[in-house]
Amino acid sequence: MQLSTEEREQLLPNLRAVGWNEVEGRDAIFKEFHFKDFNRAFGFMTRVALQAEKLDHHPEWFNVYNKVHITLSTHECGGLSERDINLASFIEQVAASLS
Amino acid sequence: MVSKLSHLQVELLGALLESGLTKETLIKALSEVEPYVLQSESQRAINALQTEKGEPCPDIPNGMGESRLSEDETSDDGEEFTPPIMKELENLSPEEAAHQKAVVERLLQEDPWRVAKMVKSYLQQHNIPQREVVDTTGLNQSHLSQHLNKGTPMKTQKRAALYTWYVRKQREVAQQFTHAGQGILTEEPMGDDLPTKKGRRNRFKWGPASQQILFQAYERQKNPSKEEREALVEECNRAECIQRGVSPSQAQGLGSNLVTEVRVYNWFANRRKEEAFRHKLAMDTFSGPQPTSAPPLTPHNSSSLQPPSALSPSKVHGVRYNQQPASEPESSSSNHHGNSSMVTTQTILHQVSPPGLEPSQNLLSTDTKLVSAPGGTLPPVSTLTALHSLEQNPHALSQQTQNLIMASLPGVMAIGAGETSSLAPAFTNTGASTLVIGLASTQPQSVPVINSMGSSLTTLQPVQFSQQLHPSYQQPLMQQVQSHINQSPFMATMAQIQNPHALYGPKSEVAQYTHTGLLPQTMVITDTANLSALTNLTPTKQAFTSDSETHTESGMHTPVSQAPTIHLQNQDTTIQHLQPGPRLTSSPAVSSSSLVLYQSSDSANSHSQLLPSTHNVIETFISTQMASSTQ
Repeated sequence: MQLSTEEREQLLPNLRAVGWNEVEGRDAIFKEFHFKDFNRAFGFMTRVALQAEKLDHHPEWFNVYNKVHITLSTHECGGLSERDINLASFIEQVAASLS
Repeated sequence: MVSKLSHLQVELLGALLESGLTKETLIKALSEVEPYVLQSESQRAINALQTEKGEPCPDIPNGMGESRLSEDETSDDGEEFTPPIMKELENLSPEEAAHQKAVVERLLQEDPWRVAKMVKSYLQQHNIPQREVVDTTGLNQSHLSQHLNKGTPMKTQKRAALYTWYVRKQREVAQQFTHAGQGILTEEPMGDDLPTKKGRRNRFKWGPASQQILFQAYERQKNPSKEEREALVEECNRAECIQRGVSPSQAQGLGSNLVTEVRVYNWFANRRKEEAFRHKLAMDTFSGPQPTSAPPLTPHNSSSLQPPSALSPSKVHGVRYNQQPASEPESSSSNHHGNSSMVTTQTILHQVSPPGLEPSQNLLSTDTKLVSAPGGTLPPVSTLTALHSLEQNPHALSQQTQNLIMASLPGVMAIGAGETSSLAPAFTNTGASTLVIGLASTQPQSVPVINSMGSSLTTLQPVQFSQQLHPSYQQPLMQQVQSHINQSPFMATMAQIQNPHALYGPKSEVAQYTHTGLLPQTMVITDTANLSALTNLTPTKQAFTSDSETHTESGMHTPVSQAPTIHLQNQDTTIQHLQPGPRLTSSPAVSSSSLVLYQSSDSANSHSQLLPSTHNVIETFISTQMASSTQ
């Protein structure tokens, strides 16, 4: 289920363009989000959380007040999979709508 | 209306609604899913809302069907005709009683077997002993057990008592958990009739989740230090809470099943003793003339997978259960070895007899269906008791429970494999008094239940064996041994071996116990409630609105015409947004999805890509311009 090289070439550039970076040492993508205040940040997280639960694919994340750091990776295959891409897309949508 | 909510509340409500929750559902949920939320104001609000809407509280069998935290007085009298539980109705407020009655009524009209399965899985999930149910309902334990496990019919009035207990208990447990989180440890109101019985607390029982954790730790180190034990305590309690669908911070709500350091210590001590004993038995039997012949056994065993359950009780009982006449001569011929007699068994040789008895009697039979470790299978008493309690759940059927296999004894397996001629495909005697029946998991993706989501012990995995299990039921002697079959940890071991991915099962397990999706949402609500209490909300109200407005204007334009091919995964339809600001509309370009296609106007390089996928659909990624707005 891990992303193949072609898939990576196809999909990751989009994400990279928006600010997702690949993590060193592991096959994962990471991005930091900033919001105006905690409410927005947490609202964002809530939306992402509900979606994650629905997709049954959860992010690794960290939150301090208005910042949210998200790392996406798929445990089952030990790296990136399409689930991560899906979730990243959704996250971008939400973040955009929220700020 | 919105003005009364704090900002965070607005945000969260918005998030909920955006996730596909309709207003109706939300309102309904408010009235039903309360235990985590209850506070006086919200209660009043809910009640007011209900009277306004004139909605009766819908019944959720799975429920938290309560709408009020009422003071519960235990009035378990142990009356003769009216089960004590019925009497309690009078103690509750009329609304509460009516509500509960309504739920019970509805349950009574449902298919009894389905409700029975629900109740049973609830019992397993929360590790509630049947004894407790029996005490408060006045039902006959055997009848109850048969009804829950095998679907033996039960008269309506009795089922009413059972369902009443169930509804009551759910509320009580929910209260327990919520109060626990607030630092108030409530006594289990329905724990016991009399103080003398079990000292008002149910006997502690290891849950499958905890056991799995412990076995893994045992494999790493047999003698953990105090710090390690404490760490295990935390881990186990967390797992147990997760199994019950409750936040781990509410561990106190586990009540009598709370894992403590002492219990962990005892568990390790018992396992060590068990192992020593097994070792001793291995020494004894090894000295016997019966070599463990793996090769000849393998074909036999693999071929004789089907009738597993003729468990032969130990020689001590002097009974040999043999379903294959052909094997008779063999077994009888081998009988003269005093030390090691062959017993033809069809399933697990799991000796239930007390440890003092001749261990060598459970030996492999050449024609067997199962292999028993020469190490013998006399489990120490502690596991025996656990196993006995399993007797009541031999019924392996429901789909839900099928999924619950406890993971388990890698360590034990290793030991067993070393000693015995274990048959890979089917049966392995782990020696540690558990036998694993090889399970071909019917649902591979659900097999890996690590965190026990539930059906702990029965595993009910061996659906294929269920039929064979029945005949052995009739043999009273078999019963004890039988329970071993259902030792889920061991089953899970096999499952684990068969499916290494088991370890990485994500939260799918949680889903199995929350029948509706409400629970996770409930949790969310709770947390946010706490959050809002805790956080100081910044007074950026205006900014909030205006910001969103501007952003909406600039960002929002969904040129549907421009819609590149995008497939969105969700199938939810409505999105309603509480906030005045951003409006999210479902993209018509895609089949009813709740995700919004958000594209900025100057999408020069807006290109969304679609990865061709068969069943999985990847959402396309939206253009760069949007990203900049995250600031």
